[in-house]
Amino acid sequence: MHIEDGILPPRAWGFWYGVTILFIIPGIREIKRRVRENLAYKPFLSMTGVAVFVISAMHLPVPVTGSCSHPCGTPLAAIIVGPFATAVISSIVLFFQAIFLGHGGITTIGANDFSMGIVGGISGYLCWKLLRRFDSPLWLAGGIAGFVGDVMTYLTSAFELALSLHGHIPLVRQWMIFFAGYGPTQLPLAIAEAVFTAAVLQVMYNRRPDLLPGITGKRSGKIEKIQMKGA
Amino acid sequence: MRAIENGAAETTSWFDPFTRWMLIIMFATLAAIFVSAKFMDMHSMLGGGTDDTVNAMASQAAHVKSHPFVDLPGDAQVGAFSIANFFAGMIVGHNWKKLFEREKG
Repeated sequence: MHIEDGILPPRAWGFWYGVTILFIIPGIREIKRRVRENLAYKPFLSMTGVAVFVISAMHLPVPVTGSCSHPCGTPLAAIIVGPFATAVISSIVLFFQAIFLGHGGITTIGANDFSMGIVGGISGYLCWKLLRRFDSPLWLAGGIAGFVGDVMTYLTSAFELALSLHGHIPLVRQWMIFFAGYGPTQLPLAIAEAVFTAAVLQVMYNRRPDLLPGITGKRSGKIEKIQMKGA
Repeated sequence: MRAIENGAAETTSWFDPFTRWMLIIMFATLAAIFVSAKFMDMHSMLGGGTDDTVNAMASQAAHVKSHPFVDLPGDAQVGAFSIANFFAGMIVGHNWKKLFEREKG
């Protein structure tokens, strides 16, 4: 989903920058609010941001299709630090990946953030919330959130490309042509992302459920209850 | 780790449970990558990234030449990824310890 510079015309990448900013502004507000509510939020945010950086640059080979791709990490991030905050950390991650690792481009940060940080994060978060509302086990809700967020990221990337480049070909057909480039390799990786998301959430919850207010559906809302080591 | 009276450690175990699990997961993942890569090599598969594949498809559709912001030639890419992942691991580990390390006793 790392769309490179030069593919999207200026009108398209400008549009995706504009859309992304609409999510980044509430994301900054969400970060400020949650930092006040939860003493553990800052270390969570830095740990999650760096984890998204690594996970979304981790190219894994899929022998069935003979190509490599990477998971996203943003569904997990959205569950832990919030969906709008994920849009913020994802934009920072994509900036550093573009300038240091040769992944993606500068003009396409808006489009790439929209697919990975916003749609990937929010779709995973909504799945998580919905399943937890129906008392789904934590690992199952986390796993499905990881899978859906991953697939939605690549569907959105393919849509962004198709929207700008479909020409005389019907939009949906061009969208599916681009998704066919991602899909066969991405589906096994979406399953891997599901396992990873479920495992990390379960380990975090087993170790310190008190650090994840709201994750079990029971928000304490009291700062003094959230103790960190050495605090 | 066994503690003596003045607080200094007397012995340190080679593999505490956390390290052992991390190594097991790491080697299992690396083995899966190795087997996949071997299979792809035996069947003359290129193993390129899907990002590159779709970027090439999009470039062709748009009749333009796409390029990443920076292109890292040869081993420079391995170096950049190693540096980035080393420090990323340090930061994740540092914060994980702050948040999730179990109290002794």
